Amino acid sequence: MTHLPILIITTSLLVAFVLPLLGRHFPRAVEPLIIGIISANIVQVSGLLLYVNANGTFRYALGGWSPPWGIALSIDALGLFMILIIQSVSLGILIFARDDLIHEIENSLKPWYYTLFLLLLTAMTGLSVANDFFNVFVFMEISTITACAIIAIKPHPDCIEASLKYLILSTLGSGLVLFGLALVYMVTGYLSFDFIAESLPNAMNLYPLNIIVSLALLVVGMGIKAALFPLHVWLPDAHSSAVSPSSAILSGVVVKIYAVILIRLLYTVYGLDILAHIPISQILLTMATLAIFMGSLFAMGQTDIKRMLAYSSVAQIGYIFLGIALLSPSGITGGILHIANHAIMKSLLFLAAGAIIYQTGIRKIKDLVGIGYQMPLTMGIFGVGALAMVGIPGFNGFVSKFHLAVGALEAQQPVFVIVILISSLMNAVYYFPILIRAFFGPVNHQMKFDQLPLGMVISLIGFAVATIYLGLLPGGLINLAEAISQFLLSRS
Amino acid sequence: MADLVLQTVVKLLIPFIQMYGIFIIINGHLSPGGGFAGGTILGSSIILYALAFHVEDALAHYSRSRAKMMESAGVVAFALIGLFGIIRGGHFLANNIWGLGETGTLLSGGIILPITLAIGIKVASTMITLFFHLLEEKKL
Amino acid sequence: MTFLEVVFDNYFYLGSITIFLIGFHTLLTHSNLIKKVIGMNIMETAIFLFIVSIGYIRDRHPPIVVEGEPHMMINPLPSALVLTGIVVGVSLTAFALSLIVKLYKYYGTVDIDEIMEIRSRES
Repeated sequence: MTHLPILIITTSLLVAFVLPLLGRHFPRAVEPLIIGIISANIVQVSGLLLYVNANGTFRYALGGWSPPWGIALSIDALGLFMILIIQSVSLGILIFARDDLIHEIENSLKPWYYTLFLLLLTAMTGLSVANDFFNVFVFMEISTITACAIIAIKPHPDCIEASLKYLILSTLGSGLVLFGLALVYMVTGYLSFDFIAESLPNAMNLYPLNIIVSLALLVVGMGIKAALFPLHVWLPDAHSSAVSPSSAILSGVVVKIYAVILIRLLYTVYGLDILAHIPISQILLTMATLAIFMGSLFAMGQTDIKRMLAYSSVAQIGYIFLGIALLSPSGITGGILHIANHAIMKSLLFLAAGAIIYQTGIRKIKDLVGIGYQMPLTMGIFGVGALAMVGIPGFNGFVSKFHLAVGALEAQQPVFVIVILISSLMNAVYYFPILIRAFFGPVNHQMKFDQLPLGMVISLIGFAVATIYLGLLPGGLINLAEAISQFLLSRS
Repeated sequence: MADLVLQTVVKLLIPFIQMYGIFIIINGHLSPGGGFAGGTILGSSIILYALAFHVEDALAHYSRSRAKMMESAGVVAFALIGLFGIIRGGHFLANNIWGLGETGTLLSGGIILPITLAIGIKVASTMITLFFHLLEEKKL
Repeated sequence: MTFLEVVFDNYFYLGSITIFLIGFHTLLTHSNLIKKVIGMNIMETAIFLFIVSIGYIRDRHPPIVVEGEPHMMINPLPSALVLTGIVVGVSLTAFALSLIVKLYKYYGTVDIDEIMEIRSRES
């Protein structure tokens, strides 16, 4: 049981490098293998989650060398929760990708696409459980390179330019993170989170400047990678030009993993005592509020549907950072819930947009008139995602927004309740016109049913069911998120 | 651009470069060096050959498909060595397959030597593939 | 301690931060993509220099055991981190350069301003 975390990472890595060889000789075995390995990972993570719930968190020391000599993975509820989201969402995306990729990239590149995809998953899995700066840095770079590669794999100049922009800004982000961790190492002498957390309070008395600068560098570095508002410039190009499965995974999961690392750093490494000396909470709250408003404002002005969804991601990242920065139990719960809920909603929306592009080739919002009569199922599912995004009760977006609002009240900053309410209205302003155009426009088409491959339909329905299920019966997820926020607050 | 002096010197140099690369790899647990440094040196010998002769000649010696195979093989070997530690009852990458041997001799350090070898193979073929890709400006 | 003494005692930190800023400036302000990549590399090198200078302690030896010579040893962690960082830097550079090669094939230039101009003319 205790070996499962490393098995998830290693088997994914193994399969990722076997896939291109397999793709040459048995191309038909590639897709069943990758779907099989991700399903196996989901089973393993669920088992681990139950084990951790019963027995508490533990450390997995690689090679039996315990820190500070060796590397240890932290197997706790936060990391496992994130792995579960990563693997489940990507399972849905891969089922969709099977049929979608044929249209977008060359057939000979498909095994390589899956290799990159699986490497990205491995890197994100590693990031969720990494418990030292060394592993965080290495996995961060792997996920940067693979994330850029699954954008650039589509042979279109826009994709290549977007990928290059993403790569350069990400490198800047990693550089800042590296500088930050060097400053932490300078005053503590450790890279392992547990030991840093132990020696930081003492170091804070001796070298406060180092720690403040390191925190600033880490927050900005992670902020660039997580596309927090003023640092989001790479996101719209990258997420809108990529193939739809890549957009879904990038917008749904990849940007959030850096928020998770930041949560881990702020709460378990720096701790609330040190954060109380530094106005980092106020800075993050301001950036989050700006992200929520500006992301929605930019989204309103877009004419391309995928670009609009990308700007909407900028706004939603703002919600997650709002939850993190409120420093109150319900705020963290809301932030963590929003990580899960937004991963599902945004993947759903990007895949639905991908299905529209697959069948009709339409990307412009103004051309979507009457599309609801051609593709009732897809547009219905898009509607589910849009309603969840706006935060209508009964869909999962409402649950996390509600917790965020409660968290704002708990932190005695009711102004953020108003922020959440206004931004929900702004979401409605850019999501509802699409639905109105699709279903209530002038009818000049015969009523038809969607002509999509089976895999796409299954994946879309799966995401829609998850959105509604987590909206109506969110109990289990809320319990998990509350357990995580308790764990984080007890550590600091 | 077939230059006789250049080609002769390169032909003479390459065995020594490769020998040095292999030395760095298999002495990785005894002295500075190891899989990455040695693999880069090994890879650079093929790059030197490609520069002095023709890319096609270099590809004849070390084809694309072989480079890709080697790249995958390096990672697979690393992961399998790591998993073997679990099978033997320890943790991932546990050094419990062979005895540790006598400090300072070549056959010591347990699994470190096979791991540096796997990394060396991986890095050498990655360097070569990177070079070929940039040189030919073609897709995969 | 005078200001000059502080500067003199920490010249390696100051040096690496200066190089970092040079790289940062090159990365953000130059429109030539190759120069951007060069700036990226300068920035990374500055960070490596910084980490190496943290890890260096005078009169200590690298942690390689040689029989019969007991030494005070340094922590190999910063060196390992720098080595990993260099590997990562190489792959990032290679990837960025291959993307630039592809862009050059599409647009015939490596200047991002000119690429933007061509794109706005096309659309």
